[in-house]
Amino acid sequence: MARATTQQKQPLIQIADLHHRYGEAGERPIEALRGVSLTVQPGEFVAIVGANGSGKTTLARHLNALLLPSQGEVHVDGLSTARAAHWPTIRSQVAMVFQQPEDQLIATTVIDDVAFGPENLGLPPTEIERNVQCALRTVGLWELRHRPPHLLSAGQQQRVAIAGALAMAPRCLVLDEATAMLDPAGRREVLALLKRIHAEGTTIVMITHHMAETALAERVIALADGRLAFDGTPRRLFVDPARVSRLGLEPPPVTALAHRLAQRWPGFPTDLLTPEELANTLAKRIAPNGTSALVPSMPHQNGRLSIHVKDAHYTYLAGTPLATKALNGVNARIHPGEIVALVGATGSGKSTLLQMIAGLLSPSIGQVLLEGTDLDAWARDRRTLSQQVGILFQRPEEQLFEPYVGDDVAFGPRQIGLDRATVRERVRWAMEQVGLPFLTYKDRFTQSLSGGERRKAALAGVLALRPHLLLLDEPTAGLDPRTRRELLATLRHLNQEGELTIVLATHNMDDVAALAHRVYVLAKGRIAHQGPTRRVFSRSERLHKLGLEVPAVTSIMTALRRRGLRVPATVLTLEEAERVLGARLAPSPVHALEGRPT
Amino acid sequence: MKRLEFLRYATLGQYLPGDSRIHRLDPRIKLVAFGLIVAAVTFSNAYLANGILLLAILLLLGLSRLPLGYGLQSARLALPALVILALFQLVMPARQFGTGATCAIIWQWRLLQLTDCTLRLIVVSTARLIALLVLTNLLTFTTKTSDLATGVEDLLAPLQRIGVPAHELALTLSIALRFVPTLALQMERVVKAQTARGADFGASSRFQVIKTTRRLLPLLVPLFVGGLRRSERLALAMEARCYTGGRGRSRRTRARAGLTDYVALIAVGAFCAAMWVIDFGALDRALWLWLAGAR
Repeated sequence: MARATTQQKQPLIQIADLHHRYGEAGERPIEALRGVSLTVQPGEFVAIVGANGSGKTTLARHLNALLLPSQGEVHVDGLSTARAAHWPTIRSQVAMVFQQPEDQLIATTVIDDVAFGPENLGLPPTEIERNVQCALRTVGLWELRHRPPHLLSAGQQQRVAIAGALAMAPRCLVLDEATAMLDPAGRREVLALLKRIHAEGTTIVMITHHMAETALAERVIALADGRLAFDGTPRRLFVDPARVSRLGLEPPPVTALAHRLAQRWPGFPTDLLTPEELANTLAKRIAPNGTSALVPSMPHQNGRLSIHVKDAHYTYLAGTPLATKALNGVNARIHPGEIVALVGATGSGKSTLLQMIAGLLSPSIGQVLLEGTDLDAWARDRRTLSQQVGILFQRPEEQLFEPYVGDDVAFGPRQIGLDRATVRERVRWAMEQVGLPFLTYKDRFTQSLSGGERRKAALAGVLALRPHLLLLDEPTAGLDPRTRRELLATLRHLNQEGELTIVLATHNMDDVAALAHRVYVLAKGRIAHQGPTRRVFSRSERLHKLGLEVPAVTSIMTALRRRGLRVPATVLTLEEAERVLGARLAPSPVHALEGRPT
Repeated sequence: MKRLEFLRYATLGQYLPGDSRIHRLDPRIKLVAFGLIVAAVTFSNAYLANGILLLAILLLLGLSRLPLGYGLQSARLALPALVILALFQLVMPARQFGTGATCAIIWQWRLLQLTDCTLRLIVVSTARLIALLVLTNLLTFTTKTSDLATGVEDLLAPLQRIGVPAHELALTLSIALRFVPTLALQMERVVKAQTARGADFGASSRFQVIKTTRRLLPLLVPLFVGGLRRSERLALAMEARCYTGGRGRSRRTRARAGLTDYVALIAVGAFCAAMWVIDFGALDRALWLWLAGAR
């Protein structure tokens, strides 16, 4: 895919004082970019980070003339994006991959989709064939070329989208949160692919909320309020925790742990990015022996509602040629007051099980008991059931429908026929719970909220029914680090103070580590593994084989053990890691090493 | 709630992979043959002709090796509508339909009367609708959407000179069919989410139009907003991949019709011509007479 880059001395992308304003003439325009200047050289790997609304996506769309500057200039390979005649060249040089896999595939088979770009460029059929084949082999999907895209996993779909970009033989690939919707295996596939095509000479510009991914990049650009807030190596960005938090970001787990250790242990280096670096640094300074016991977190017993799933099977499109088995004999119990996580690769049956527990799908074989009564019986009275079990689907913010936030939250309580005062009280309570103050937000337009606020509003809409059991499908996918942290805190609070039982299906193992007491691992419609969170994550190889991974902190500890340090393998959170390692850092070895008096 | 699966009902444009003779036919030939049979179905108003056409379509369904029940599913789903249609036709008798001869009363009860013209109308229109539904399913089940789209594009290409946007039509068709399952799934998710919030989409009084519409808002707003967002994202993705319309575009592959394709086309053409030429009205009358004589 790489072209000869001998003669190119000029930057691949050059942006000078770029401003972008959204909005029609006459309205007050929204300034998304306010004077950004930067250059990207051929062969670079750049990560763009920033909180939601900081202008990342707008910037990315200027890179291949999908948006045009309101002020300032963008040049790609010396060509200004302002001239329409340049667009085909620019867009084939700087190709783009978007966040939603399913919304960027146009054709009905993989091979036709990958050919779409080259066809648009009017290449001769033999060249198209060659490019398409080369691109599909690069992403490892040549064998699946005749599949319709909607029968592929999200990770595969995203690789098709990348192949579609590569087939135009671009010099640069821009990815706009292209891994946000993927499961761990899909994310690994895509990141490995990016590393490879970068090594082959393609320039990569990657927008991401996943801070650990920035470790792949040589250079990080951080945006805040439409301005360039940082431009440098990831190491330099994360070494300053105050700046990171000011930008609405958070350091990757390794760096966060290093910062915590540095507080206890002055002089501990904080410019660490990979588990291996941390392990190497620690190995020099830590006592090799000594143990520290971990106290498992226990669910409190005060919650209500127990669920018992008995030998549940489910087949989608049963009785048609397209029938697919989603659940294949699942047994599970949810105890009152617990937080239970369902994990598993895409297509393992998590969402199906979740919908079954919500009473939205009833098992083809087997049954689900709620408080000992068959859910089918409960489901006959939706209004009662909706006050027992609430469910929040993926991307719930897309399901808001009332113009005003308060009305949308009030939808459920009104449906069950509460009086005005009670509805108001419920709405107020629910909005305060999720961190949207009632008086400030109730009369705001739903569509004017940010993505994160809309998701909180959707959660409030479910909470307003005061369910005892809350089911969540990918609650934090696509959120920026700060919003994610707030949402997790809300859920933990609801569980501990509000005695809410929670079941969440997620790809994000850090969410599981932060919340769950117990984990069910699903694979091909069966429970492959289950137990307390700590025990489940102690089997990292097994999880890896199922297309999953362990939380970031756990993998740091694994790296430490590989270096010969005797630390517990099942450390889940930063707090625990700090405690475990802190206990071993006695008596201030840094001081001893450096011979400084205390 | 047992089967809240919208994909089950979104069979439009669905492709069922297979390797039958019908699957392998050149899409252009298949489209022309489809058009010919549709014309034959539309213009036949004799019992015998419709019977033969239905049989022929069933034969094609057999040749495609699709499961019979699935091939007939859309006809089964349309059954209630067909019954209602038949009742309407019974109440509003068509006096001149069919042969143009006077209508004989077969059965009468108070104001209701069933003439042989009405009977013919009911039977023939039901048979026609079933034939068209099954035929459409047969076409989409056995043809990849992309092939269908390129087929349409190729067939319309000669009309491009007089301003028919062949490529754009084909692309629109292909994208529409590509998103049928996606939108069905989206709808399903919205229905489930709002149901879980206590919404009731069940029966409501049929005279409270405003109330009923208001009740559907929780479904329609997310569906439309989502659909518009989705199309915006799709347009952006197409633009990012240098799409600027049909001009200056090339194609990776072009279909080439072989001997089997032409033989199939000639066979279908001959069959439809025969359906056109033969006076089935006379045959019907002869059949009636023979049946009456036999009795």
